[in-house]
Amino acid sequence: MNKLVTEEEIELVAKFMKIDVHDHKEYVEKVHSMIDFFNILDSAGVEDEEIIIADLPLSKLREDMHIPYEDNLIEKLKNFKGNYVRAPKMI
Amino acid sequence: MTKIGLEIHCQLTKLESKLFCPCKANYRDNEPNSNICPICMGLPGTLPRLNQKAIEKATLIAMALNCSTPEKIAFFRKNYFYPDLPKNFQITQLNIYGDTSIGGIGEITIGEKKIRITRIQLEEDPGRLIYEGSSSKNQITLVDYNRAGTPLVEIVTEPDFENPKQVRDFLKVLSDLLENLDVSDPSLEGAMRADANVSILGGNKVEIKNINSFHDLEKAVHFEITRQESLHSRNIPIVQETRHWDDQRKITISSRSKEGDLDYRYFLEGDIPWIKIGIDVQEKLKSTMPESIVSKKERYVKNYGIPEQVAEVLSSDKYYSDLFDESHNQTNAKEISNIITTDLMGLADTREKREQSKLNSSHLSDLADAILSGKLTRNSAKNALYEIIKSGKELSTIISELDLGNVSDKNKLEEIIKQVMLEEPQAVEESKSNPQTINFLVGKVMQKTRGKADPQLTLELLKKNLD
Amino acid sequence: MNLKISALEFIEEVKTGNISVEDFISATIDQIKNIDEKLHAFLHVNPESVEQAKKIDKKIKLGEKVGSCFGMPISIKDNICIKNSKTTCASKMLENFTAPYDATVISKLKEQDAIFVGKVNLDEFAMGLTTEFSAFGPSRNPWNTDYVPGGSSGGSAVSVSAFECVASLGSDTGGSVRNPASFCSTVGYKPTYGLISRYGLISYANSIEQIGPITRTVKDTAFLLNIISGLDPNDNTTIDSGNADFLTDIDSGIEGKKIGVIQEMIGDGIDPAVLSATNDAVSKLEGLGAICEPVSIDMVKYSVASYYTITATEAGSNLARFDNLRYGYDLPLEGYEFNSYISKARTKFGPEVIRRMILGGFVPSAGHAGKYFLKSLKVKSKLTKEVNDAFTKFDYLVAPTVPVLPFKIGEKIDDPIALFLVDINTVIANLTGIPSISVPFSISNGLPIGIQLLAKQNDDKKLLQAARALETTVQLPEVPI
Repeated sequence: MNKLVTEEEIELVAKFMKIDVHDHKEYVEKVHSMIDFFNILDSAGVEDEEIIIADLPLSKLREDMHIPYEDNLIEKLKNFKGNYVRAPKMI
Repeated sequence: MTKIGLEIHCQLTKLESKLFCPCKANYRDNEPNSNICPICMGLPGTLPRLNQKAIEKATLIAMALNCSTPEKIAFFRKNYFYPDLPKNFQITQLNIYGDTSIGGIGEITIGEKKIRITRIQLEEDPGRLIYEGSSSKNQITLVDYNRAGTPLVEIVTEPDFENPKQVRDFLKVLSDLLENLDVSDPSLEGAMRADANVSILGGNKVEIKNINSFHDLEKAVHFEITRQESLHSRNIPIVQETRHWDDQRKITISSRSKEGDLDYRYFLEGDIPWIKIGIDVQEKLKSTMPESIVSKKERYVKNYGIPEQVAEVLSSDKYYSDLFDESHNQTNAKEISNIITTDLMGLADTREKREQSKLNSSHLSDLADAILSGKLTRNSAKNALYEIIKSGKELSTIISELDLGNVSDKNKLEEIIKQVMLEEPQAVEESKSNPQTINFLVGKVMQKTRGKADPQLTLELLKKNLD
Repeated sequence: MNLKISALEFIEEVKTGNISVEDFISATIDQIKNIDEKLHAFLHVNPESVEQAKKIDKKIKLGEKVGSCFGMPISIKDNICIKNSKTTCASKMLENFTAPYDATVISKLKEQDAIFVGKVNLDEFAMGLTTEFSAFGPSRNPWNTDYVPGGSSGGSAVSVSAFECVASLGSDTGGSVRNPASFCSTVGYKPTYGLISRYGLISYANSIEQIGPITRTVKDTAFLLNIISGLDPNDNTTIDSGNADFLTDIDSGIEGKKIGVIQEMIGDGIDPAVLSATNDAVSKLEGLGAICEPVSIDMVKYSVASYYTITATEAGSNLARFDNLRYGYDLPLEGYEFNSYISKARTKFGPEVIRRMILGGFVPSAGHAGKYFLKSLKVKSKLTKEVNDAFTKFDYLVAPTVPVLPFKIGEKIDDPIALFLVDINTVIANLTGIPSISVPFSISNGLPIGIQLLAKQNDDKKLLQAARALETTVQLPEVPI
């Protein structure tokens, strides 16, 4: 069995991903079986494989031009005070 | 031995638009959150639209710092949550799948000191936090996203600095270089920021974050070395940690958040393909690269016989060297370099003054030519320069309006000299035994002509009359 | 009013004056009112549809220029932004989110006078393949309402299949268009990566997903591709495919074409009914003059693990922006510090999303990236090579779209691995970027089976020709609603 995924580990990752998970046990079994399933990757024999990514020539990119946004976007968002977005205090 | 490494963040302030959207790159002097759009606010469904010129400008920086420049560059996501980061990840660069950052290993020599560059990366600046109210009941943080997405180049050095002075010398060269490349205006507030890592012999490495100007960077490094040395002398171990620079109190403070706990889960930004810069484009960029400061200086000394020190000052400031290069010819070059370094630098020493100045290059060549032909004294030229900066009028107009023309008419001068000799009989008498007194009499003549008398001629005539 | 017509038939009827747009749209809205309570395809119905229809009728009457859609009713998966209307991703997290802009596909369809009759259901943030993970309740399969319609674009496939619209746009990350198309007996298309702009599609796994049409016929898909595909300055990953008009030459047939039958997709775990349908499809393709041969693609068995690792990683990052600060639902800030606030706010995500977030925090993390994430990218690269290799021999590949028949609601919801394996035939098109289409092929015990055809990158037009050829060999019963 994959010992990596303990309840504590799930708790830690959930905290890291910024989600309050109260019942960690509920997630342990399913996440555990998912990660266990991923272990099949070990037998794929792809260690020497190169990662291929599509590319684009520089000339196809956006020209450097300032175009102001048509709307006053801040008014369409929530949580603002004056012109500022409000966020909870930082510690 | 003390080791200092730097991570310098430099905004590409000379761009029109942000790194991934067409909002303004220069977010300053705007109402809060008025320079934003769905892309830089990271609204769901939006995608980054990479700015072509940002890549070109960043490549120029890499080339100027003698860094390798890869043919293809890639972008990565740095994942962390912070209110100033609309997507809660930052698009940045890294070298985890080969050398894909905009600049690779490089090196720059400052005086005798070699500083190795580890990497140069192009990334987006976050927004800005404003803390509301007094700190005790500080419930809410206010966020202004105008800066979010501003193109930022990060220059990472090896820990090659040994003292704060080397740091200062490097920063001076770097900001001159950035300005000369026309990529950034280092004098803009917040355009240059830095993190530093400092360790002294036998001690752990300490990171200092949040240094918001080059000026403070030297101070922060100095403070940190002193702090570490003081701990060391008392046999207190120096812990490996991250500290923040408090720019009010000018000290470094231990951060509560443990950097070690952070895992940025870097991975490729799939919304941006790898960008092929290609050798052709690199060659083209190289050919459009402005002349380096070092080469300018050499040229000034060699071609025009300008003294080393004057050439150094002149070449390291883009504003002045541009003016010089536009105005001079073989005969007046040295005179123009004098006008710029002795007079103009005092009159246009801030960005505001430069922006308001009405001086152009033909004014400068006119001024130098007038001095060389004896039409203006250096002193009058300085007065004229002051007027030109203010009004932008032609030199000839200013000369006649302010009556600045040299008094070089022999008869007229002779008349004034005779008058002075009448008024100062004691000095005339004294000059017979003490030749130094003649300078006093020259001064009096100058006074009467409001500095317009040709000094050489005045001296000649005075001597003749005293004999 | 006969709603059981294709998009192209609708256009023809309107053009010739046989029907008015208003009548057709009104009847469509009535159909939604009558049956959607049972099927739950729609999350939101556009109250202005009939008004918009009237305007188009007026333009037609006055002889003004009318866009090529002529008021065609289209439903849109609720992860694609329409300006000033709600886009929820079937999540409580975005229950109150109003998009301030149009997705590129939406702008293009608006220009051609399409009418968006409503936003349709999906698994929350498109994470799922049954539409059971919608925070607003599952959609039901019109062929048998006890069964799942597939997903995540379940609402799209249901709405097309149950005549609640003429066509729909879904999004396909690992089969999310083709899977429900197969389960609901419609055509579902996943284009070459980059053919259609993703601007305005709320990202789940951005490096592999595409918007795709769900339609009644292959020709309708070609028609929609003509409108919505193409380079977009708002999406740096869009490509110039060089495909001019997807409709011309669509009846070219497949005589002499070579088709590879993917062996890994007709082996273990396949439902016998699906296997026999696949064999039948292969003989029909041969009957059309194609040459079918078996082909093996080794990496298929690792593709699902690679797919879920990559999607969880990207989802973990893409969904990080939902911190409830700039948009979201009402939750006062007072009394929280930043981390506790967003951790609290993000509990509105449903359990499947939370599971994938935990996976997405785990597989690319510093300690585990080498074992999981990096290997997954390498599997993706090797798979791409193998598939490209296959296309040096074959014009097309063929396989069942889904190895199993539609299953009952609730049947697999608690077994993530069983659900993973339902995706095995569809994920390779996403991992390799190639185009793939599901064509309705047969009905077994009242449940639909779709056949999947695949072609090499940028061969979208050629793929539609094969799909059209296969479609002509099939006569299917009407949906029993």
